[in-house]
Amino acid sequence: MRNLCWLAATALVILAAAAPAPAHITPPVVLASDRDAVAGLLSGARRFFVREVRLTPAERQVIRQQTGWSADEDFYRFYVGRDEQGRVVAATVFLTEFTIHGPVRVAVALGPDGKVKGATVVELTEETYPWVKPLLDREFTREYVGRDARGTFTVSVGGGDSMAQFYGQIIASLIQRAAMLYEVGVIKRGDAA
Amino acid sequence: MNGFHLSTLPLSGKVFCTLFLLGIGCGALAAFVQASTAVGLSPAAVEASLAPQMPMTHMGHGQMSGEKEITLGEISSSAKVWMRTPLLIQTSHTHLFGQTLIAGLLGLIFLLASVREGLKVLIVALPFVGTLMDIGGMWLTRFAWPSLSVLVIAGGSLFALGYVLIAVISLYELWFRKETMA
Repeated sequence: MRNLCWLAATALVILAAAAPAPAHITPPVVLASDRDAVAGLLSGARRFFVREVRLTPAERQVIRQQTGWSADEDFYRFYVGRDEQGRVVAATVFLTEFTIHGPVRVAVALGPDGKVKGATVVELTEETYPWVKPLLDREFTREYVGRDARGTFTVSVGGGDSMAQFYGQIIASLIQRAAMLYEVGVIKRGDAA
Repeated sequence: MNGFHLSTLPLSGKVFCTLFLLGIGCGALAAFVQASTAVGLSPAAVEASLAPQMPMTHMGHGQMSGEKEITLGEISSSAKVWMRTPLLIQTSHTHLFGQTLIAGLLGLIFLLASVREGLKVLIVALPFVGTLMDIGGMWLTRFAWPSLSVLVIAGGSLFALGYVLIAVISLYELWFRKETMA
């Protein structure tokens, strides 16, 4: 019986140690594939291109100063949609923010003038999805259409739900980062046409 | 284990072990489905999810930009998770704790099984080795060699094999084996 008590005590310690595990990130919720997001955001385009951009240290510095974000990927990929005459309709880039509750991934479409044409949340987690869903239901990303990187990217949930506010702000920030990335990495280089 | 065996546990102990093994089995099945839908179960799918993003253009090292025409068909149509380093860190720490704790509890139950010591050592080690191979394989896929994604599949399979052996042998001994008292 002594052995059994010892085993039970050990099991209890292990279970107690496991208790914090559920407090961590939950499984991903993928709302759209990359292809669906690109097709939706570049509607009207007849031809599609991939433009990959590697930022210079100076460009990274500009982005950090403007948005507080460190653009530290090796390169960034824009999916560019053009019309039959080869004119740019829009470009889409995917950006991710890693929060304590898991990643938030957003696809953002930008016009050749650098203004936001649309944005789609493509990935959340099981935990964050219910917080963001009310915002998605009212298509809150439409509020940012027409704004460039220097515009105001704040979110108002109108009810004081702090987690919705928090994640809405993260999504809004990702949209602003995308606009800044396009401005610095494409437009200012003269590559937007 | 010191004369104490699964087959001689009191009913409460047998029910506890049985329900724990069944619960972990259900969890493992759910994890299997989750892995197959979010990432995929082939080494290629794991590699696509974990390996560093490679340029689609012919942008070489040191080049600042590149562009090429594509078709929409070249963009991934499957809604899969792409794990980058921060997510890999999060996944590693939760899974290393979680799976090791599960392996520990499975091992505690299996220590009471009446099998040869050599076999017991082998089986009790499987979930631990599988966990380390699984998570270690993720890091190696990302930072060493993408083809090492096969380790992730192998590690998951080892964990599953360990669980199945522990569960089958333990359940047999709990409910069907008649212990012969020396």
